[in-house]
Amino acid sequence: MRFLTVTRLGAISIFVSTAAIAGGHLNEMGPDELLPLAQQEGKLTVYSFTSRIGKVEKAFEEAYPGIDLQGFDISSTEQIARLKAEAQAGVTNADVVYISDTPVVLSELLEAGLIAPYVPPRVADRVPAQYKSPLLAQRLSTKVLMYNEEANPDGAPVRNLWELTTPDWTGRVVMVDPLQRGDYLDLMTEIVLRSDEMATAYEAQFGSAIDLDGAANAGEKFISDLFANDLILVGSTDDVNAAVGALGQDNPPVGFTSYSDRRDNEEEGWALQVANAVEPAPGIIFPAVLALAAEPNNPAAARLAIDFLMGDESEVGGPGLAPFYVAGDYVTRTDIPPHPDAVPLDEFTAWRLDPAKTTTIRAEIGDLILTLQ
Amino acid sequence: MADAAMGMQRRRVLFQQGTVLKAFVLALLIALIVLPLIRTVMFTLQPDTIKAWSDVLTGRLSTNLFYKPLGNTLLIGVVVATGCILLGGFLAWLVVMTNVPFRKTIGVMATLPFMIPSFAAALAWGSLFRNDRVGGQVGWLQGLGFDIPDWLAWGIVPTLIVLTLHYFSLAFTIIAAALATVNSDLIEAAQIAGAKGQRIFLGIILPVTTPALVATGSLCFAGAVSNFATPALLGLPVRMQTLSTRLFGMIEVGQVGRGYVIGILLVLISGAFLWAGNRIVSGRRSYATITGKGGRAKRFDLRGARWPLFVLAMAILVLSTVVPVIVLTASSLAPSSANLFSNWTLHYWLGQSDPSLAQGIPGIIYNEDIVRALTVTLSLGLAVAFTGMFVGLLASYTTARFREGWASAAITQISFLPLLVPGIAFGAAYIAYLGAPIGPLPALYGTFMLLVIAGTAYLLPFSVQTGRAVIQQVGGELEESARITGASFARRLLAITVPLAIRGLTAGGILIFVKIVRDLSLVVLLFTPTMPVLSVVAYRYASEGFGQFANAITVIILFISIAASLIANRLQSKSQPWLKN
Repeated sequence: MRFLTVTRLGAISIFVSTAAIAGGHLNEMGPDELLPLAQQEGKLTVYSFTSRIGKVEKAFEEAYPGIDLQGFDISSTEQIARLKAEAQAGVTNADVVYISDTPVVLSELLEAGLIAPYVPPRVADRVPAQYKSPLLAQRLSTKVLMYNEEANPDGAPVRNLWELTTPDWTGRVVMVDPLQRGDYLDLMTEIVLRSDEMATAYEAQFGSAIDLDGAANAGEKFISDLFANDLILVGSTDDVNAAVGALGQDNPPVGFTSYSDRRDNEEEGWALQVANAVEPAPGIIFPAVLALAAEPNNPAAARLAIDFLMGDESEVGGPGLAPFYVAGDYVTRTDIPPHPDAVPLDEFTAWRLDPAKTTTIRAEIGDLILTLQ
Repeated sequence: MADAAMGMQRRRVLFQQGTVLKAFVLALLIALIVLPLIRTVMFTLQPDTIKAWSDVLTGRLSTNLFYKPLGNTLLIGVVVATGCILLGGFLAWLVVMTNVPFRKTIGVMATLPFMIPSFAAALAWGSLFRNDRVGGQVGWLQGLGFDIPDWLAWGIVPTLIVLTLHYFSLAFTIIAAALATVNSDLIEAAQIAGAKGQRIFLGIILPVTTPALVATGSLCFAGAVSNFATPALLGLPVRMQTLSTRLFGMIEVGQVGRGYVIGILLVLISGAFLWAGNRIVSGRRSYATITGKGGRAKRFDLRGARWPLFVLAMAILVLSTVVPVIVLTASSLAPSSANLFSNWTLHYWLGQSDPSLAQGIPGIIYNEDIVRALTVTLSLGLAVAFTGMFVGLLASYTTARFREGWASAAITQISFLPLLVPGIAFGAAYIAYLGAPIGPLPALYGTFMLLVIAGTAYLLPFSVQTGRAVIQQVGGELEESARITGASFARRLLAITVPLAIRGLTAGGILIFVKIVRDLSLVVLLFTPTMPVLSVVAYRYASEGFGQFANAITVIILFISIAASLIANRLQSKSQPWLKN
C-alpha cells in the first residue's frame, strides 16, 4: 500500500514537473538537451500518413537507442477522424502527427486545439516562414498528372488539361474518387479556384473563348466535362499508378497521382513520369506537416522525433530525412539541395495549395462532384 | 378443481418467468444496439447537421446521393438473397438428403467461401476478369486473349456474383442444419403413403424448413446490402454506388451528417424488408420438428443424376473457394503483381527487413505489429463468440418460448437491427456511444472491451438467428415434461434446451468467430494502434500498395477460420448425422 502510494506520488511529481517544463522550456531545447528527457520517457507514438514511417522508426531507434518509436501508418482522412474520436474520449494515443490534408487539419485539428505546432529550434532558421506557420511543413507532396514514359518516349501525350475532355481521352483518364480521398477533392477545388487560368488554357486549346454553358466558372466547366468524358475513378493512388504506369501497355491512360510514387517504378514495374509542361498546371503541390499532440504523453521524445524527421546536419539530411529525400518530394529545409532526378521546385508548375482558400469552397466542390457521378 | 388450481399456478409461473427474462434481454439489447443508434440519430438532428436530411432526400444532390445508390442496393439485396437460397439450398439438399458422391467433401467445402473475406474475393475476381478499362495490369483471362466486356469486369454483375458466391455458404450452413433436423417420421410416413420425391419436398421439407429459408434470405439480404468492400472495389471504376459506399465516402471526406442520414435510411429500408420476412415466420404457429423420437430416413436416390449434380456442385465450390485461395496465395509470393505466377519469393512471409524491398517492412513472422494483431484478433474472436452465443441463446430462447407479446417481437426486431447497419456506421456509432466517459464509467475508446462489446452487438443477429432456427425446432413438450417433474428454469435450459440446440449454437459460435476474425468494416474505425486486429492491418497494407503482405495476412485469416471450422466439425461429428453414410 505504501509502495503504491510512493509510486503514485513519484508518478505525479514526474507528471507535474514534465508539464511545467512542457509549458516553455522544451520548445527551446535542442536535441542534445531533449535526449536525456526523452530517454526517461523511453517511447513515443507517431501517426503518419505515409508508410515510410517504417524506415524512420528503424533509423530513429538506431540513432537514439533506448527510445522506442512506434510508427503507425494511417491515412490523413482517418487520422483526422481518429484524433477527433480520441479527443472526445479524453485519450491521447499519438505524440506526433505527420499528416497532409491541411485544409481540414487546420480547421478541425489545430483550431480545435487537438494538435499543437512545434518548430525544432535547431532548424528554425533554415525553414522559410511560410512553412513554419501555422504548422511546420517537412516537405511538399503532390497530386499531379502522370503518364507512362515507356509508351510515350517523346514526352507527355497531353499538353493542356482541356485535352482530357476531348474524345481522344474518353475513358482514358484515371483518378481516385474525390469523394473518398481528401487530397483529390483539394485538387478539384484548386482547379475551380484557378478558373481564370483554366479559361485562358481553354482558349489556347480550342482557339475560342470558353462557353460556360450554365457552369459557374471555367473550373467547374472543366470538372463537368472531365466527368462527362467517362473519367475513371478508382479506390487508391496505387490503382492509378498501376493503371497509368504498368510496363508493356500499348495505349496507357493518364492519371492524377503522387509525383514521388515514381520512386517505386523499378520495384513495381511502372514507367510513371510527371506531365510537368501541361497547361495551365499539372495539379497541386501541398505541404506534409508535422505537429505535436495537444498534450503528448511523451513531450520530449515527441519533440526529438520531429527534430529527427527534419533531417540532421549532413548534406542531404541523414537517415531521418532519407525516406523523404526522393524525386518528387520537396524538402522544405533551404540548406538541403534539391533531388537531382526531380524537376526543380521553381520549374515545377503545379499549383501551390492555399489551405485557407481551399476550405472556403471545398464542400461546395464536393457537392458538385456528387451531382456529376 | 385441483387441476384448475395447478393450471393457474403454472400460468402464473410462466407469466413471471417470461416477463423477467424478457425484460432482462430487452434491456441488454437496448443497451447494446438501440442506444448507439439513437446517438447516431441525435447527431443528425443537431442544428448544424439537420440540413443533411434535406440534402439527401430532396435537394439537387439527392438523386446521386441517395436514390440511385438505393436502387443498386435493393437490386443487390434481392438478387443475392435469392441466389444464396437457391445455391445454398441446392447444396444443402444434396449433402443432407441425397446420395450424391463425396457428400462430406461438398459439405465441408460449402462452408469455406464465407471464411474468405469478401474484399479478398473481389480482388480475386479482378485478377481474373479485370479488363483494360482502368489500364495497367489486365486480368488473367484478358491476358489469355479473351475480350472481357466492361459489364463482366466491373459494376453490378460481378458484384452480384461475388456476393452470392460469398454469402451462399451462410445459406448452406443454416439450411443444412434445418434439413438435418427434419423429422424422419414425417418423410417415412409420406413414403409409405406412396408420395414421390417432389411431393415430399413441396409438402414436407419446404414447409418445415421455412423458418430457416426466411432466416437465410434475411441474413443474405442484409449482408449484401451493407457489404462495402465488394461494390467499392468492383463498382467504383464504372461509378456504381450503393448506400454503403456512399456512406463510407461521406464519412471519409468529413460529411459525417450526410453519412449518418444515409446510414439511418439504410437501416429503415432494410428494416422494412426484414419485418416483412419476420411476419411470414411468426405467422405460423409451430416449427417443432425435433421431438422425443425419430430417426433418419433413407436418402433420395439420385440415380443417373448423381455424377452430373456432383460436377455441378463441385464447379460452384471450386470457383468460390479454390480459385480465390490460389490467387491470394500466389499474390502473397509474387514480388510484382503483374506476374502472378513467376519469381516467387518467401520474403513477404519469412524475410528479414530489407530496405530495398517494400520500404524495409520485414516478413510477417518477424513483424511485431502483425504478431500482436494476431493475438488480439484471436482473443477477440473467442471473446465475441462466447459473449455472442450467450446473449444469442438468451434472446432466441426467450423469443421461442415466450412468443406472445410485444416484448418478444421487440427482442426479435432489435436483434435484427445490427444487420442493417453497415459495419463502419456501427463502429462510428459505438465511438459516439462508448468513446467518451458515461458518468462514472471510463471511456472505452481503444480498449479490448470496446471491441468485444461492439463485436458482440454487431454480430448478435447471427447468433440469435442461428440459435432461433434450432431452438424453435426443439419440441416444447420435452421442456414441458421436465417442468411438470419440477425442474427449474436453469436446469431445463442446461439439461434439455442447450444439449438439443448445441449444434446450432456451436455453428453460430463458429460463424461469429469467423466473422469477427475477418471483419473489416466494423473494426476499421474502432481499431487503435494499441489494439490492432489482423483485417485492418491487412487492409492498411493493401491500401498502401503492399498487396503481398495484405494477401499473406489474408491467407493467415483464412487458415485460422478453416482451422476453427475443422475443430468445430470434429467436436460436433457425433451430432452431424447428415455427414454419415
